[in-house]
Amino acid sequence: MGVPAIELQSVDKSFRKNRVLRGLTLQVETGRTFAFLGRNGAGKTTAIRMLLGLLNRDDGSIRVLGLDPQIDPIGVRSRVGYLAEDQTMYGWMRCEEILRFMAPFYPTWDHQLALQYARDFDVPLATKIKHLSKGQNVRLGLVLALAHRPELVILDDPALGLDPIMRKQFNRDLITHLQGEGRTLFYSSHLLYEVEPVADEVAILDQGRIVRQSETDALRRDVKQIVLHREAAAVLGETASVLHRRDEGQESAVVVEEAPGVIDGLRREGVEHRVVELNLDEIFEAYVTGNNQDQEPKTATTLRVAGDA
Amino acid sequence: MFLRIEKGSAVPISSQIAQQIAMLCASGRLKPGDRLPSVRELARELAVNQNTILRVYERLVHDGLLEMRHGQGTFVAAHAHSTGLAVHRNRLVEELRQWARQGLALGLGPEELHELMNEALQQLQSLATAEKEVS
Repeated sequence: MGVPAIELQSVDKSFRKNRVLRGLTLQVETGRTFAFLGRNGAGKTTAIRMLLGLLNRDDGSIRVLGLDPQIDPIGVRSRVGYLAEDQTMYGWMRCEEILRFMAPFYPTWDHQLALQYARDFDVPLATKIKHLSKGQNVRLGLVLALAHRPELVILDDPALGLDPIMRKQFNRDLITHLQGEGRTLFYSSHLLYEVEPVADEVAILDQGRIVRQSETDALRRDVKQIVLHREAAAVLGETASVLHRRDEGQESAVVVEEAPGVIDGLRREGVEHRVVELNLDEIFEAYVTGNNQDQEPKTATTLRVAGDA
Repeated sequence: MFLRIEKGSAVPISSQIAQQIAMLCASGRLKPGDRLPSVRELARELAVNQNTILRVYERLVHDGLLEMRHGQGTFVAAHAHSTGLAVHRNRLVEELRQWARQGLALGLGPEELHELMNEALQQLQSLATAEKEVS
């Protein structure tokens, strides 16, 4: 496999008394399209800023392309394409000017390629940045992130604020220009249905740690909802990994991991049950609710940390 | 080839694509020997991961619906029509089973369910006749 593109090991980070990351462990293999999912405030941006060496960690280790961003931030940034969340650029510059302005910062900048991407992404070169639409702004950011031919591209919530048509076009750009060229892409999002068609692998971040890392397809097969009698659900809770449970009358709806095995077991024992396929949003919800203090407390919710999954 | 992806569906995207291609083969809109778009082209068109498209093609090759010719691309296999029908028949049985389960849960008996099915078929037939008369 070689060196992973990104490796975080037990990373902790606090801002004063607020513990934002708690033992965050994550690995991204080279060449993958990896989606980093979490609710607002889960710690996505904090983790991403650490990958670039823009923030220091309190504890744990981080390697990006084999380098420690805290020790060699310039080395990391010269090999990584980065698009920040709500990236602000000099509004008075024309798009064409900012391309020339950025070029000297990168030894590997390819200006022909920058112009090519600008054309592919429909970025109007003669327009001032302050007059760009939100979608054009993101695409200009992507041009700037890609023109030095980075091995790894890190995008912090790039789809934020894009309309559905722009998001589809943006996904297309990612597929054609990143997956098509075999580059590693690590991007954060809170829009799961947008991520599902694109990502090879997803990690769900909740309260500063990864609650699940999985191939996108495998996650679908692994996590399902089972509706069964309340008493049977209680028995199930003792052996299966239950993410979420809701009772209604005599019935319980239980979301479980390793669903194929659980369903086989129920069938063998002749327990009456119904299987409900979940979409990615519902799976995400099962992992991150129960941890949410705003909601009423849920019963029998256990969470397993990725790694033993 | 017109395919439609429903995002956020409980049916995984790879299954959606596979089912629609099987349907096109079964209905004869894709004919044996027809060339499918390349993995790259279809990935771009649908804005779906290239690996997903590749896995769908591989699965349909395994099912006997498609064949990959080295260096030439992916084509509809010779017996795709009947294979597609068989694949589809299984899905139809599964859907009917769910439909029957819903009916039973509502307290309908087997005879009433058969009656509903007949009613639906008759409606389709009378629609088809009406269309013929118009044209």
